Amino acid sequence: MSSRRSRISDEEIKELISKLQFLLPETRRQGASRASAAKLLKETCNYIESLHREVDDLSDRLTELMATMDIGSAQAEIVRSLLRS
Amino acid sequence: MAISDAEGESPAAAKEVGGERKRKRLAERSLLAKWKTEGERKSYSSKLIEALRVVRRSSCPAPRAVRVAADRALAVTARGRSRWSRAILSRRTLKLRSRARVARLKPPAAAAGPRAAERRKPPALEQKARVLGRLVPGCRKLPLATLLEEATDYIAALEMQVRAMSAVAEILSAAAGGGRSSSVAAEPM
Repeated sequence: MSSRRSRISDEEIKELISKLQFLLPETRRQGASRASAAKLLKETCNYIESLHREVDDLSDRLTELMATMDIGSAQAEIVRSLLRS
Repeated sequence: MAISDAEGESPAAAKEVGGERKRKRLAERSLLAKWKTEGERKSYSSKLIEALRVVRRSSCPAPRAVRVAADRALAVTARGRSRWSRAILSRRTLKLRSRARVARLKPPAAAAGPRAAERRKPPALEQKARVLGRLVPGCRKLPLATLLEEATDYIAALEMQVRAMSAVAEILSAAAGGGRSSSVAAEPM
């Protein structure tokens, strides 16, 4: 493994910054060019964690819903609505 | 490989400073844009529903079964294009629990370590990169540039997952007897 691996050039950092800024909803809104790479990385981590939490909540909700209904008819309903749009 | 301009950015912009880099960025963004299409969401939704049926059929479903199924379906939808999706597919169920525990781990006095090479990179950056590497499946030991590529794709996929699961939950709860105030016919996406 070369020692170059741990060095990040300024160019790469600029690229990363623009990539992340594009993705994160917060920074996109503010159009912040002042955000540092570290701050962006932190925002990215926070964002991923919040997305994970949402998925967890949705999973719990789906678990509940599934327990109380017949998934066969639900499936039909979902397919119908998927086809509708 | 044809690069379709999904976001309407003018091709003239690509000829500006660092033309090739810009083109590459546009290409990446159109890959990311794929996660926003209705087609992907529907493809994911149908896989999710199938997986839910399997979970439901099992006599003793694990408490995390739906989450695991949702993630697997997401990884399948990615069609093996990314490390994180391949990592999820080769993952065992138990991994999910330990990952949740480790997510907030802060390494003590990071990069004050013995190797001089690490001082070239500001410690804060490396520390956060490590955290990020733990959050994205299968990306712990990647160099930063690759890690960010994976992370951007992963984020786009997660957003789609949230949209799709919300829509499915809405439909199911509406079908279950309409307790929700939001309209049934309108799709959130």
